[in-house]
Amino acid sequence: MVVFQLAQQTYGIDIASVFEIIRMEKITKVPRTPDFVEGVINLRGKIIPVIDLCKRFGLDYTEATNSSRIIIVDVDGNTIGMIVDAVSEVLSVPAESIEPPPSMIHGIDAAYLKGIAILEGRLIILLNLGKIFHDHEINEIEELTVETA
Amino acid sequence: MFSDEEISVFLDELEEKIQIINENILLLEREGESREALQEIFRAAHTIKGSSGVMGYEKMASLTHEMENLFDQMRKGMLPLTGKLVDTLLTALDSLQALRDEIVGKDVPVDVGQVVADLRQCQETLPAASAGAGTKEEAGSPATVAIDLEEVDYEVIQEAELRGYQAYKISVELDPGTQMKSVRAFLVFETLQQIGEVIKSVPSAEDIQEGRFDNGFRLVLLTVEDRERVSNTLMNISEVAAVEIERVVPAGDTGMAAPEWEQESRAAEKAKPGSASKPEPAGVKTIQTVRVDVERLDNLMNLVGELVIDRTRLNRFAELFEGHSAGGSSEMVDNLFEISEHLGQVTGDLQEQIMKARMLPVARVFNRFPRMVRDLAHKMGKEINFIVEGHETELDRNVIEIIGDPLIHLIRNAVDHGIEAPEIRTKLGKPKMGVVKLRASYLENYINITVQDDGRGLDPERLRAKAVEKGLLDQGAAVRMADREALDLVFMAGFSTAAEVSDLSGRGVGMDVVRNKIESINGMIDIASAPGEGTTFTIRLPLTLAIIQALMVELGGEQFALPLTNVVETISIERGAIQKIKHSEVTLVRGRILPLVRLSAVFEREAFRSEEDHVFVVVLGVGEKKFGVIVDKLLGELEIVIKSLGDYLGKVPCISGATILGDGQVALIVDVRSLVKEIGIEETVYAAG
Repeated sequence: MVVFQLAQQTYGIDIASVFEIIRMEKITKVPRTPDFVEGVINLRGKIIPVIDLCKRFGLDYTEATNSSRIIIVDVDGNTIGMIVDAVSEVLSVPAESIEPPPSMIHGIDAAYLKGIAILEGRLIILLNLGKIFHDHEINEIEELTVETA
Repeated sequence: MFSDEEISVFLDELEEKIQIINENILLLEREGESREALQEIFRAAHTIKGSSGVMGYEKMASLTHEMENLFDQMRKGMLPLTGKLVDTLLTALDSLQALRDEIVGKDVPVDVGQVVADLRQCQETLPAASAGAGTKEEAGSPATVAIDLEEVDYEVIQEAELRGYQAYKISVELDPGTQMKSVRAFLVFETLQQIGEVIKSVPSAEDIQEGRFDNGFRLVLLTVEDRERVSNTLMNISEVAAVEIERVVPAGDTGMAAPEWEQESRAAEKAKPGSASKPEPAGVKTIQTVRVDVERLDNLMNLVGELVIDRTRLNRFAELFEGHSAGGSSEMVDNLFEISEHLGQVTGDLQEQIMKARMLPVARVFNRFPRMVRDLAHKMGKEINFIVEGHETELDRNVIEIIGDPLIHLIRNAVDHGIEAPEIRTKLGKPKMGVVKLRASYLENYINITVQDDGRGLDPERLRAKAVEKGLLDQGAAVRMADREALDLVFMAGFSTAAEVSDLSGRGVGMDVVRNKIESINGMIDIASAPGEGTTFTIRLPLTLAIIQALMVELGGEQFALPLTNVVETISIERGAIQKIKHSEVTLVRGRILPLVRLSAVFEREAFRSEEDHVFVVVLGVGEKKFGVIVDKLLGELEIVIKSLGDYLGKVPCISGATILGDGQVALIVDVRSLVKEIGIEETVYAAG
């Protein structure tokens, strides 16, 4: 489990879906995409879309700092980068310490969550990547922008 | 079951063979019987039968079996070539194609019953004596070696003979006193396997090797060795008492005929790789290939792209280095530049080679047209000489896939609307036979494909009238329109010149679709025509889709690429020259009104407010529509590799992809066509000037 910080909260995602973690670099903005899509980057010759998790969840926006990172993940065969405030560690979380998520936590819909892990008194929110990057939603949002344009 | 890969190899082969049969049948029809062509057809049909049988496509196997029988009889001169026969064969070929589509899952199940029956009927018109001579008959000569061969065996043998093998029936008697007959038998098998292939044995190989036989056994061997050699080899095995060998005569081939045709097929096979020694019928060129997944080529291309980027970085570094070490180590800097230079050359070559590997000769598409024209001409009672030139011209695979439909449409149009009926042509003093010419050629970095007919041509006057009648144009505009422009009317949506919609052309798809398709791959289409003399369509296509020339511009601090095919010109205008009509900005260029678009508005980007008096305008054109976009800076032309934005972002409006610049930055590529749709620039706006 890769543990990272986002708007003063601790989150975790399955390490199997993480390709790599890179420093922030210049992101080329792509016009007329949902606002949480930061743009695209060049990852060794491949164009990778990057999204801002803060904006995705509607959390308070934090400025990019030196500790900001882009976590490159694989979601259903798509390679996507997501911006987080900091990556703290890699932990292994025993399955029994994971509890189902409450319906709403820190303003994030439970649908995006896999559960909550309590580890040595810390609360780690486990994200459901597949849900967060669900294709349908992207397309819907896109259609909306086209219609209103 | 067979893996996807095996099936795809089978399908590719099938496609190739169908093509060969197709071409040769047409050749036969055109030039009368030719042994060469028949031989080709027979071999192709035979291969399909064999492989489809192995793959378990029963319908295909039975269909090709009947076809093969027919071809076989034609080859032996037992069946004369008639128009009806050609038609039946072509129908059968269509069914074969349909069966192929069925495998691919494109189509509804195909019923081959009727076609098979037709094929059989063709054979039954033969004199009774030779009917069924194809495969049913046993070998003529008395069998001294008793081993019954079934039809399948003959097929294997026949196939092997095509590859230059001989089939022998061999009877082996072991020494009655042998103690280890299974071991001896095993040795016999071993030995024979070394010089050929044992395809059948009595008793079965298993039984023989376990000793379940009397003193002798019989088998059928395929080998390139002669009888003498086989016999000697076997006699050298200890405790082999007697060996009897008899040449297997393939079914249907009897007496003198057999060796003759066999020799010929051998010669033909041998000549194939060189292909120079064998006089190939005109227009028939079998494409010899190594099949590579296109994805692999794409990956290779990506890797080369990265090399190019690294090379640019190396260059940049060398420049930095030069700046830092003023004077001192100029030799090192020179070396560095030299290395970078060489790397650049090699990557350039590499890129070119990979691009070439992605290329296919246009013959791939062109080959299916002669048949189409023939059918059309027959149907419409027209006489047409269809000339194809430049088969060998190569195009990117993707382009080839897309170009097929537009070409079909253009050729159909030429046959249907272009060429007049023979009696009208004679009356007009034209040769009775119309000419439709399809030609491909290179022109700089483009490829030109022309479809030319010597038919009735297009009448600008009629086109104008038609456009007005359909409400596509008002009377005034029609009058002002030059003839040249009037011709372009055919590309307008909703415009079709044929009075009645015929079965052949004008099935709701118009020339506008043709143009759209061609422009979607950065191509252009042009029309030239003179009434009474014919029409020529010229299609200009880029050699590849993966790399384009682009004009790089800066907008709001970021770089964008505008495909050069869409760029008409760049101009610099004074701020004051921008005028407003209603809500849109326009400017005058050489007396014509040019609508202006601010890319920053389209891309919802903060505009870069320059204090200068001049703004840069790039004039873009899609078809007849022209408009200018205002950009912050012009950065120059660049050859860029197109990359997709990926599935996650899906289709982004007005952006067709991205490219990676020399410094590793990503620049977006503007999709000019969707930009036009987006901002809704109408042709009429432009014409109103």
